[in-house]
Amino acid sequence: MKFKDQFQFVRQNMKKNKVRVFMTMLATAIGCAFLIVLASVGFGLHDSLIQDTMQDRAVTEIQVHGKEVDGAYQTLQDEDIEYFESISGVKAVTRNKQLQQSPVFSIDDDYQLQTMAMTTDFPSELKAGLELSKGKLPEKDNEIIVGHDFASNLAESNISDEELYNDENQVKEEYQYDGKLLGKEIEMKVIQIEDNEEKTHTIPLTITGITEAPNREWFQDQNVYISESVLEEVEQFTGTSRGMVSTPGQEDMSSGQQQEDYYDQVTIYAKNIEVVQEISDLLESKDYASYSVVSEMEQINMMFTIVKAGLIIVGTIAVLIASIGIYNTMTMAVTERAPDIGIMKAIGAKPKTIKRIFVLESSMIGLAGAVIGTAIAYIVSMAVNFALPLILESVFQEELPPELRFSMIPWTLVLIAVGICLIVTVLSGLRPAKRATQIDVLKAMRREV
Amino acid sequence: MITVKNLHHHFELGKKGEKSTLSVLRDITFQVKEKEIVAIKGRSGSGKSTLLHLISGFIRPVQGEIWIDGTKVTDLNETDFAAFRLQHVGFIFQNFQLIPSMTAHQNVELPLILDGTPQEKRKTIVGETLRKVGLENHGEHYPSELSGGQQQRVSIARALVLNPPLILADEPTGSLDSETEEHLLELIQQLNKEMGITFLIITHDDQVAHIGNRTIEIADGLLVEGGVTHEI
Ligand SMILES: Nc1ncnc2c1ncn2[C@@H]1O[C@H](COP(=O)(O)OP(=O)(O)OP(=O)(O)O)[C@@H](O)[C@H]1O
Ligand SMILES: [Mg+2]
Repeated sequence: MKFKDQFQFVRQNMKKNKVRVFMTMLATAIGCAFLIVLASVGFGLHDSLIQDTMQDRAVTEIQVHGKEVDGAYQTLQDEDIEYFESISGVKAVTRNKQLQQSPVFSIDDDYQLQTMAMTTDFPSELKAGLELSKGKLPEKDNEIIVGHDFASNLAESNISDEELYNDENQVKEEYQYDGKLLGKEIEMKVIQIEDNEEKTHTIPLTITGITEAPNREWFQDQNVYISESVLEEVEQFTGTSRGMVSTPGQEDMSSGQQQEDYYDQVTIYAKNIEVVQEISDLLESKDYASYSVVSEMEQINMMFTIVKAGLIIVGTIAVLIASIGIYNTMTMAVTERAPDIGIMKAIGAKPKTIKRIFVLESSMIGLAGAVIGTAIAYIVSMAVNFALPLILESVFQEELPPELRFSMIPWTLVLIAVGICLIVTVLSGLRPAKRATQIDVLKAMRREV
Repeated sequence: MITVKNLHHHFELGKKGEKSTLSVLRDITFQVKEKEIVAIKGRSGSGKSTLLHLISGFIRPVQGEIWIDGTKVTDLNETDFAAFRLQHVGFIFQNFQLIPSMTAHQNVELPLILDGTPQEKRKTIVGETLRKVGLENHGEHYPSELSGGQQQRVSIARALVLNPPLILADEPTGSLDSETEEHLLELIQQLNKEMGITFLIITHDDQVAHIGNRTIEIADGLLVEGGVTHEI
């Protein structure tokens, strides 16, 4: 018997009892929709969390903190940087030496800002994606680059703090520096305490460039990037490594401790997100302490995989309940059609053919149920995503993050749900189908079944 | 065409504990040659239907061999027997055994569908077969919309449609009046002559036995007449 004919046959049979077949489909559809919607919450929250994490931090970044040697952490030096750069899949390795105090920068004595200063390796920063919004890279030792938000934080110097900042903790516009920065002479003032007395040292610098705005709105970059020789000048003045301000009574604790040159902050940029884990694993095997969003993500993913599996299992119970309906419907169908089955067997239908017809019928009910259920699930999911934030916001009077999605139905979930539906319905149709094959020809023809 | 050798059959009766066996057929041996019409006669309860069911494979004999068209069908499993029946044996039953939810056309088409004949061919074959039994204008009728004689013609058409060499019939005229019976017997004779189909027909009726080349009689499970021919 050809499949097309079997299909035709089953369709005719199903038409004979439309209401019963439809109700069974509906039960399956509701079970399937329940499964999808339930699991979609796991998928939705997972996705929201991933997006949130991905947005917060650059995903191709790996921060390297140090190297473990004989149980102690060692700082990173040029040879480490060289090694990092040699790893395949690495796009750039940026490294900073950070000044251990925040100098005060002032322009024309009227505007000032206390902020962090650090040296950096511009070629690698450029490779990592640093862009200047204005100006050019420094060429001379006294030339500097400032962060994009440096200007907006450069405020009039004789205003009290309460007056200076607005509600969002930003410098009020009227007090911001509005002159041009490029080519501007700026003074950097560092301090050191000696014999309980504060000494200051001022270094004149020139701004040659401003970085591009960070791609996160709320993220501010007001750092100042100085040259190595400026750092050295500061170190000479303070007499400490990285210009550390000595705490009274604890002088000379840190000075001279570090003989070799080292970096405070080393960040590896991977070429793409796929190789991040690979590089992280390699670093770990070489005893480097590193951190990347991706490794953190692994744990999140792991947790959500468990949650999703749990939700799918709970949802499957609904499908199982629906399968009782299919079992019932198919058993009734077999009983009703026993005389016909007897006749078919008598004229030469193989048991396998009879079985296939009934399995096909139950799987068609299952498939139709799964398709209808998927459609219902999408509608419910959309409704949930639309209504739930509104309800929560009105109840808790708090705005929810915009990327938050309660329910998400990826195609993999649809596949899983349809697969579960089909397996369950085929299984529940199997026994009635087997019974159909066992119908006794003579009894059936005598209408005794 | 059919060879039955030393066939025994009995039924197990009663529940466990008080079992008994009812011996129905004992040591039946006979042969039906190609293109013969053979009538089986016997009193009610003598085991005629049981014999036919054994030949059809609806039940399996306790002992003995059955050969049909060169195949030892008693060795076939259920699936192979089903496939064999579809190709080699047509059936006519006393109460027609048509599927009530299918039209005459669909009933006749059923063996073709089971055999996997493509849809385009099926339509013409069914049309032709219905014409052979004189029902070319009744294809779209449901069994309930046909007379007894017409229903039996539909079932003959269904038995014919795959051109089997053998048709088994259990009291084919049992539910028909004598005039309709006469027409039907003519049809059977005609099919036997024109298509060379062998018929094995169970009957109470002398008229039916009359069209047969020969008659086999069963009494109390024993073959009493016409069984053994010179060739066995
Ligand atoms: N399934 C069965 N179980 C038990 N006994 C059976 C069964 N089928 C038939 N019999 C018995 O076998 C005997 C022969 O029955 P069978 O139907 O072959 O008779 P028959 O010759 O066809 O009779 P009739 O002319 O009335 O149709 C009967 O005594 C009947 O009671
Ligand atoms: Mg009988």
